[in-house]
Amino acid sequence: MIRIALLVAGKDLRIERRSRVLLWQVLPFGVTGLLLSGLALGPTQAGHSSAAPGLFYLVMLLVALLMINRSQVIEGSTGTKTSIATLGLDPAGVFLGKALALAVELWLTGAVLLAGSVLFLHTALSGTLSALPSVAVTLGALGAAGSLYGALSGGGQGPATLLPMLSLPAFAPLLIAGERSFSAALRHGSIWRWWVISLVALVAYLALGILLYGVLEES
Amino acid sequence: MIKQLAQRLLGPLTLVLLVLTFWLGLWVTPPDKIQGNLARLLYVHPAVAWVALYVSFGTAAVASALYLWKRTRSQVMDRIAHCAMEVSIVFIIVTLITGSIWGRPTWGVWWAWDARLTSTAILGLFELAYLALRRANDDPDLRARRSAVFAIIAAVNVPIIHFSVDWWNTLHQGATAFTENGNLLVHGIMLWTLFISLFAFTLLFFWLLRARYRLEVLRDEKYHASLDEALAQRRREGVH
Amino acid sequence: MPDADVSHHVTPVAAPPIKPRGRWRTLGVLVVLALAVLALLSQGLLRSLNYFETIDQAMSSRAKLGTQTFRLEGVVVAHTIDRTSTGASFWMSGGHHHEIFVNAHGTPPQLFQSNIPVVVEGHFTSETSDRFYGTQILVKHTASYISAHPHRVKAPNGTVR
Repeated sequence: MIRIALLVAGKDLRIERRSRVLLWQVLPFGVTGLLLSGLALGPTQAGHSSAAPGLFYLVMLLVALLMINRSQVIEGSTGTKTSIATLGLDPAGVFLGKALALAVELWLTGAVLLAGSVLFLHTALSGTLSALPSVAVTLGALGAAGSLYGALSGGGQGPATLLPMLSLPAFAPLLIAGERSFSAALRHGSIWRWWVISLVALVAYLALGILLYGVLEES
Repeated sequence: MIKQLAQRLLGPLTLVLLVLTFWLGLWVTPPDKIQGNLARLLYVHPAVAWVALYVSFGTAAVASALYLWKRTRSQVMDRIAHCAMEVSIVFIIVTLITGSIWGRPTWGVWWAWDARLTSTAILGLFELAYLALRRANDDPDLRARRSAVFAIIAAVNVPIIHFSVDWWNTLHQGATAFTENGNLLVHGIMLWTLFISLFAFTLLFFWLLRARYRLEVLRDEKYHASLDEALAQRRREGVH
Repeated sequence: MPDADVSHHVTPVAAPPIKPRGRWRTLGVLVVLALAVLALLSQGLLRSLNYFETIDQAMSSRAKLGTQTFRLEGVVVAHTIDRTSTGASFWMSGGHHHEIFVNAHGTPPQLFQSNIPVVVEGHFTSETSDRFYGTQILVKHTASYISAHPHRVKAPNGTVR
């Protein structure tokens, strides 16, 4: 299962590296979102940075929706899905691989957007750095949940509005946990209480994906 | 014989119990010591919420699980899940509306971001997403499988809603009718009216579910009949 | 090319073996899910989702709360309500005989009265003070429902006394 997961993750990441969609489309979209958030708050409020954790995660959610959709489209459009099905690969391994690839992409985007929040929203660098463990786990959970909901929404074949509708209610607890721990880090408080909630969400989504992904991909 | 009788009696019995609930709730029961006449919502809101969260959503989740289990997989289970979820949405909306109407004069606000209210609203969003998911898939088998998986994931929310008032400090009141130790919280005729309302709204759910299920069967029959008709027409065109 | 060679080339390739994935994995995953839920419930990890802090909770973390805004819950002490032109001031008590003076702005809800649990949104007036400045009062009614006039009887002419 782990071997298949690494193979699938490698395949997805190679496709992303070659197509450069992440670099030239998704990342600029995220940075623009962050910049617009700062403009919407105005110079006085943006400077106080108390809204920064919420805005960071809101932009990350929008970016994640694009990535999840893309992660499913690359399966369907190139016939990879059919190939994987005929190869008889363990669906749990395929799910873990897709979740891992999505998490890596989210971590890379998250790193850029965190730098952006220091720059545009004036979040303290030390607080932002101490929020890193929580951001990493929350984005990992977002990747796991996203892979499951991506498959549910029809693997990129369904209408574009379906994925946000299915996944946003489920992302709400991650948004809350991520935002609270980031805010706690900026106030030099403990991030661990919320970090554990993100970790439990990560474990729960991975478990659900391992259990149910096969049913979704069953032909 | 008994099944037919039960089916015939379901509608009239539901109507009688609902009328009885409203008569007891509006005319017979006394006003509450603290809340006065506002407490009469006790005979609507908890019963509607009970049906929305446990009876209807529970039916949908169990039918979905039975659909995913290969031994019990059938179109009947998929239809039950779908119809129960549709009815559940109606009850969730009524739950949120009656809760708001009760909340404004008692709490002082229409809405509060406490754990019980927020998790109930999230369940409503899950249910809307479930219907959107069904509409997005044309293949009946794929649609049934995906929506069954989604219903089971959404079902995780139900115990969270139920225990939210115990796990966290919430503005919403704790368990209705009994404390954890089994002590009565609602007294006299008020308690009996509450129980009758729970029974009446549960029967209303099953009556609505039955009607919605029959509608779904008729819709499927009409679809297949029109498909057969279209095929027959093409064949006739081919002959001429 | 002879026919015999063609038949050799079209011999179907055997599908790769698929390992049976059965009950043990399902069981393992369900155990992981159960452990995840238990982890959430243990040690009050979800306390942060509380809508309010009780007076006892607030007093035990008084230094940490400082003057930050939060919601405070307690019971309105009888005969202490003073309705002002801008709102109301009153004493609020907690479980361990802590009492806090609240000065709240805004119209209180219609159920606001003595001995009723309330949730007040606001903050302590200074880092060390136990006086609370409220911007909104919410009434948290209990789940107890008792008749308003239990001893009333119906007279033969139908009137209630």
